[in-house]
Amino acid sequence: MNHASPVPQLKPTVSLQARNVSKSFASGDIRSTVLHDLTLDVHAGELTLISGPSGCGKSTLLAILSGLQRPDGGHVIALDQDLNQLDSRAVERFRLLHTGFVFQGFNLFPALNALEQVELPLSYLGLSPTEARRRAIASLEEVGMGPRMGLRPSELSGGEKQRVAIARALAKEPDLLFADEPTSALDAANGQIVIDILHRIARTHGTTVLCVSHDPRLVGHSDRVLAMEDGRILSDRVPSQTSTPTSGLEGSSA
Amino acid sequence: MVALARKTLIYEWRRFLPAIVAVGFAGLLQLLQVALVLGIFGSAAVYITGSSGDLWAGYPGTQSVNLGRSIDAGVEMRLRMDPAVTAVEPFHWVDADWRGPSDTGGVSVFVSGINTRPDGMLFARALPPALRARLNEPDAVIVDRADLDNLGVGVGDSAVINGHRVRVVGVSNGLRALGGVNVVASLATAATLDTDPSNTNRMTYFVAKLRNPADAEDVAARLRGNTAFGNYDVWTAKDFARRSQLYWIFDTGAGAGVLFLAGIVFLVGVVITSQTLVAAVIGSIREYATLNALGVGVGALRKVVMEQAFWVGALGLLGSAVLGAFALMFARSRSVPVALGPWVTVACLSLCMGLAIVSGLAAMRSLRRADPATLLR
Repeated sequence: MNHASPVPQLKPTVSLQARNVSKSFASGDIRSTVLHDLTLDVHAGELTLISGPSGCGKSTLLAILSGLQRPDGGHVIALDQDLNQLDSRAVERFRLLHTGFVFQGFNLFPALNALEQVELPLSYLGLSPTEARRRAIASLEEVGMGPRMGLRPSELSGGEKQRVAIARALAKEPDLLFADEPTSALDAANGQIVIDILHRIARTHGTTVLCVSHDPRLVGHSDRVLAMEDGRILSDRVPSQTSTPTSGLEGSSA
Repeated sequence: MVALARKTLIYEWRRFLPAIVAVGFAGLLQLLQVALVLGIFGSAAVYITGSSGDLWAGYPGTQSVNLGRSIDAGVEMRLRMDPAVTAVEPFHWVDADWRGPSDTGGVSVFVSGINTRPDGMLFARALPPALRARLNEPDAVIVDRADLDNLGVGVGDSAVINGHRVRVVGVSNGLRALGGVNVVASLATAATLDTDPSNTNRMTYFVAKLRNPADAEDVAARLRGNTAFGNYDVWTAKDFARRSQLYWIFDTGAGAGVLFLAGIVFLVGVVITSQTLVAAVIGSIREYATLNALGVGVGALRKVVMEQAFWVGALGLLGSAVLGAFALMFARSRSVPVALGPWVTVACLSLCMGLAIVSGLAAMRSLRRADPATLLR
């Protein structure tokens, strides 16, 4: 079924599913619904982009799909596991084994150099120190940070910090990689580098990369773009492979 | 394993410094106040600790060496009869009134009548043999160098004790008394100074030397409870010294004061240290949340905080140990009475490590804010 080729697969496997997911928040007496009965399939080996204006619920959707938050209703099935059925400890374990995260703020420990940043979560995976180091070096080299892995965050530029953060997520060899506004703190050139890295990870590792952003530069590099507004998915399309954003062509509601 | 706790501590040492200083000063304060109290009240037992006797026989229930009442002189025979005992020596304690040549009014003095032979047990550690020998002159006394001003005398001067003329033939070091002034005399001189007629043929204490000092407990138990020579009791020198010191520490309220101050120091230390550690946790809260998002459990994050607390405690203790050693050396060089045993030191330092650990537990609570979902807003 699967072709081991860098060409996009015709029938990619569904690795992440949202089924009738809803979520609302109470602030005082007012209860606002952030996600309305949302259903979604995300495919492995693809860079899926969720875009939309701020406050549309895309970050909440990411938090729920990644197991950081629980939905009020509905199910999230990640790698054939219903996350609702796992207790919080088991969800933590699931995240440890299967997910990587890249955040808008790079969230690197100031005291650690790039190599240690990447090694740190690996040590909790139960890897031997030599294996952890090997993997850390490999993923730092993959994001082009090999020559600078001895430097601390204060000695790195924003783009380099984000690449270290990506390496930290990547070194775990996750099946699912979640990125929240990974480029919004970066200039054009560095944003471009980060997008390319995320895309390459999806292609070469078969990783499910789910990215939330309102950065239009990302659109052209995604395999699939979901447009969200007011807690609903408005469109689901495959952008043309150019580096410039295009308007929605093949809209299909969720 | 990446040593996150230690690397953060070294890299952000400025952030952790207040906590280390707080633990260090808490430790220093505990050490010094305990050393001072033990040093000051340790002199309550200088008669025992400055002597080489292994056993002390005295009036039953005596709570402190300065509160002795006379016992029958026959007890000396009872002690000598025991095969474990190699030597017995009397110790004559006289509470007396001193009138010096200069205008010092009456001074309450404690006269210690001792055996003046070079191998005498009493004050064997406090008086060199040459000085002891001078006590053989009739009416000769020795006073502590630190008390000369109080007594208004110098070496060679005469004074009056209980209406009897005495002459100061020398000065000693380290024989300061609590609540009065120590005067050392020969047994014969002390007997003339004792104005209480009921004390004839009686003695305040008998001090015994044992063939094997390690048997002191057993021999004391064996000699105790024999009423053939009237009421008396036998204690090991160690027990009697400790009892005398504890009596003074608690009788004067100093013990309660030490405990109270220790509590205050602990509390203030915990407040400063825990606040510093909380600030350190909050400062890295986004990084901790990221680790949690990546699946590193809260338990593992707590361990990082506790490890930081431990290192803060260890560095603070190191600081207080070094500063404390200097302070004690300085105090000794200035004749300030300080005394600190290994167990008391360990107790003080453990209290400070406890302080750091309690602070770490308090700081651990702020990890609850490390919710990765907050990173997505």
